[in-house]
Amino acid sequence: MQEPQIGNAEPTDVMLPAPTAWPFTLALGLALIFAGMLTNVSISILGAVLYLSGAVGWFREVLPHERHVRVPAEPEAETGTVPAREVMRLPVAQQVQRAWLPLKIYPISAGVKGGLAGGIAMAVLAMLYGVVFFHSLWYPINLIAGSLYDAPAIPTTEALLHFRLGWFVFALAMHITMCLLVGLLYGAMLPMLPTRPIVLGGIIGPLLWTGLLYHVLGYINPLLDQQINWYWFALSQVAFGVVAGLVVVRQNKVWTSENLPLAMRAGIESPGIVDEHEHDGEDTRR
Amino acid sequence: MWDAEPISKPLAVPPVRDAVQPLFDRVHGWITTVDHKRLGILYIVYALFFLVIGGIEASIMRLQLIRPHNDFVSPQVFNRMFTMHGTTMIFFVAMPVMFGFINYAIPLMIGARDMAFPRLNAWGFWMTAFGGIILYFSFLGGSGLYGAGSTPDVGWFAYAPLTSPSFSVGHSTDYWIIGLLISGFGSIATAINILTTIFCLRCPGMTLGKMPLFAWMNMVTAGLVVLALGPLTAAQLMLLIDRYLGGHFFDTQAGGSAIIWMHFFWVFGHPEVYVLVMPAFAFVSEIIPVFSRKAIFGYPIMVGATISIGFISMSVWAHHMFTVGMTSYGNAFFVASTMAIAVPTGIKIFNWLGTMWGGKLIFKTPMLFCVAFLFQFLIAGLTGVMLSVAPFNWQLGGSYFVVAHFHYVIVGGILFALFGAFYYWFPKMSGRMYNEKLGKLHFWVFLIGFHLTFDFMHIPGILGMPRRIYTYEPGRGWDTWNLIITIGVLFQAVGILIFVYNLVSSYFKGKLAGDDPWDAWTLEWSTSSPPPDYNFATIPVVRSRRPLWDLKHPEDPDWKYE
Repeated sequence: MQEPQIGNAEPTDVMLPAPTAWPFTLALGLALIFAGMLTNVSISILGAVLYLSGAVGWFREVLPHERHVRVPAEPEAETGTVPAREVMRLPVAQQVQRAWLPLKIYPISAGVKGGLAGGIAMAVLAMLYGVVFFHSLWYPINLIAGSLYDAPAIPTTEALLHFRLGWFVFALAMHITMCLLVGLLYGAMLPMLPTRPIVLGGIIGPLLWTGLLYHVLGYINPLLDQQINWYWFALSQVAFGVVAGLVVVRQNKVWTSENLPLAMRAGIESPGIVDEHEHDGEDTRR
Repeated sequence: MWDAEPISKPLAVPPVRDAVQPLFDRVHGWITTVDHKRLGILYIVYALFFLVIGGIEASIMRLQLIRPHNDFVSPQVFNRMFTMHGTTMIFFVAMPVMFGFINYAIPLMIGARDMAFPRLNAWGFWMTAFGGIILYFSFLGGSGLYGAGSTPDVGWFAYAPLTSPSFSVGHSTDYWIIGLLISGFGSIATAINILTTIFCLRCPGMTLGKMPLFAWMNMVTAGLVVLALGPLTAAQLMLLIDRYLGGHFFDTQAGGSAIIWMHFFWVFGHPEVYVLVMPAFAFVSEIIPVFSRKAIFGYPIMVGATISIGFISMSVWAHHMFTVGMTSYGNAFFVASTMAIAVPTGIKIFNWLGTMWGGKLIFKTPMLFCVAFLFQFLIAGLTGVMLSVAPFNWQLGGSYFVVAHFHYVIVGGILFALFGAFYYWFPKMSGRMYNEKLGKLHFWVFLIGFHLTFDFMHIPGILGMPRRIYTYEPGRGWDTWNLIITIGVLFQAVGILIFVYNLVSSYFKGKLAGDDPWDAWTLEWSTSSPPPDYNFATIPVVRSRRPLWDLKHPEDPDWKYE
């Protein structure tokens, strides 16, 4: 803020809107019009009179020109503030946060690839389960789709063994979406896991997730809960985690751009975003 | 703009204000004022009055439920109490008090001399005020106070068909409709005024990117009010037509739909939660940086999260209606959208924590309330996510778990932030400091009361206690919890008394505050306490988000870094 601009002139007058009772009158009139519906018509008539007079008075207040009052302005204190003190800027992110956040991260494509690969591994295992135990590829697929439906809509085990186009489309869409999302999560998380990222992200994480679902699915969708073989479910989850993790860690890392200005990250070619003189030829994002 | 118009006749010069004006002059001055600061204070005082009323109604309910088979009040009075408590707290406490702070602070913060439409501002306040008076006049209607008059008894969301002439004979529901309708007109006017003020009256240099978060968040609040109150107003007019002109909008037996009322109400009702919580976010976003001695962490992200919440909040309303029996797709959509809103809200919490992280924390009373807000609002959000899961909601919708959840939001979140705002801006409004010891006593007593009441209120909900029941059988496991809950209310009442006493006594006897008692950074602290009628003798020019920091630290101004 610039210094208050009062030092160059004597205190002047300030024009402010003049106090007026017309808004009060108009509001009271409108309220009484409605209140008459609950009490007596005479109240509404009184309200209408007040309403009209309030409206006319208000118009006269602002037309042709608004009514003002002149208020003498007193000089403001030169600063109105405390004296300046020694201050310290906190260290910038690159000096502090790097202890916890990675300098390099996996690109988004790594998460996508990992998610798709993990999804295929998971699907293969799940279908193997269907073939071995139910002699049907479609059983696990129908189960995924069943999670979208209310419990009463889930058919019997026998019906789940057969191909159902609508359920197949649902299941495929859900599976791909979930795998992509979890793959992206892996891509983001793996560089931050302290040690043995594959063990943590590929085995322990899926087991925890399976444990959570094991305990809550009975409440959320009891019929679906009865149809699931939890050992195979856990195995499929681990397969996803290990494969997705392995695919992700094999990708090349890139420098994080989190400290770059939004304009630069958005690709806006505005002058002055990069200091070209001090970092001639150097990747300033580092 | 009003001060750019040509002046066609001699200006009236108001008389110099005496030290003590006659009572009539003072009352006349308050009734005719168009000054945003005075209107803000009117809103706040009005809301505080109704806070006490609404608190008394809550206490009556809690005394009734303190033990099984109690008959402290009749079932009819109990119904009236929960209806009036909910209606009062939302429409005549929370909204007016937020409008009060917004009215008071926004023009000062953006370097303006008043709101864009000062007279409309006055009209908005008086409409709100008369709406509340009409609603409470219902106690005197009908058979008068002895029989609690024609007081509404249909609950604060007034579901059809309870509101139909068949089930609600007499005028009780009409008082509810008309009271809210009138105050709703005022609220819409005020919201338009806030939007126009922020868009048009910012001082030179204050681009949207340099505007205080307080203004950003309340801009979204005002937008939500404009969008959300329209459907409620329309539905209320339709209900009036049903009741007075034989319409059938909500009459299921005549081709109407009771469910439509629910949609109309909650299209208003859920954004309304954000209308109330967004100003609370705004308070916290101003207080935490000042008492952490750090600039807000992640300003652009906070703005983005605020706007996201504004948009998403318009698409979550039917999570109040899971138990109605919507289709799977409807359920899935509202589950997803409700969960999605937790994301930007969580971002805000992280940013407030990020602001405190590494800061020099000063635990004055406003900061204490904000820290409690952080914890409590987080818990409120988590139970909100739990309730957003449709199957969970089917089990606990309509139980005391829901009551506990939304009181955690409104009391634990909004009211705590509001108390923080009271203590933070009281020196600016009154020119005097509040009593810090009493402030902290208020905090701790109220905190204990809050947790006694609303932590333990979740448990009878999980055990199956429905909301709004007049009494209950012993031996269901609810007895002890209800006793504890009611004891908590007593603590809260004591806390409120300490708060009111602190404000009143400090107003008359508090130490002089000076212009900037918190060493803060936004423009309202650059003018005197209380500010003059014109706010600023000269309109300020700003270069950063913390203009007073720049002024105080010319060797290290913020604008070099933004």
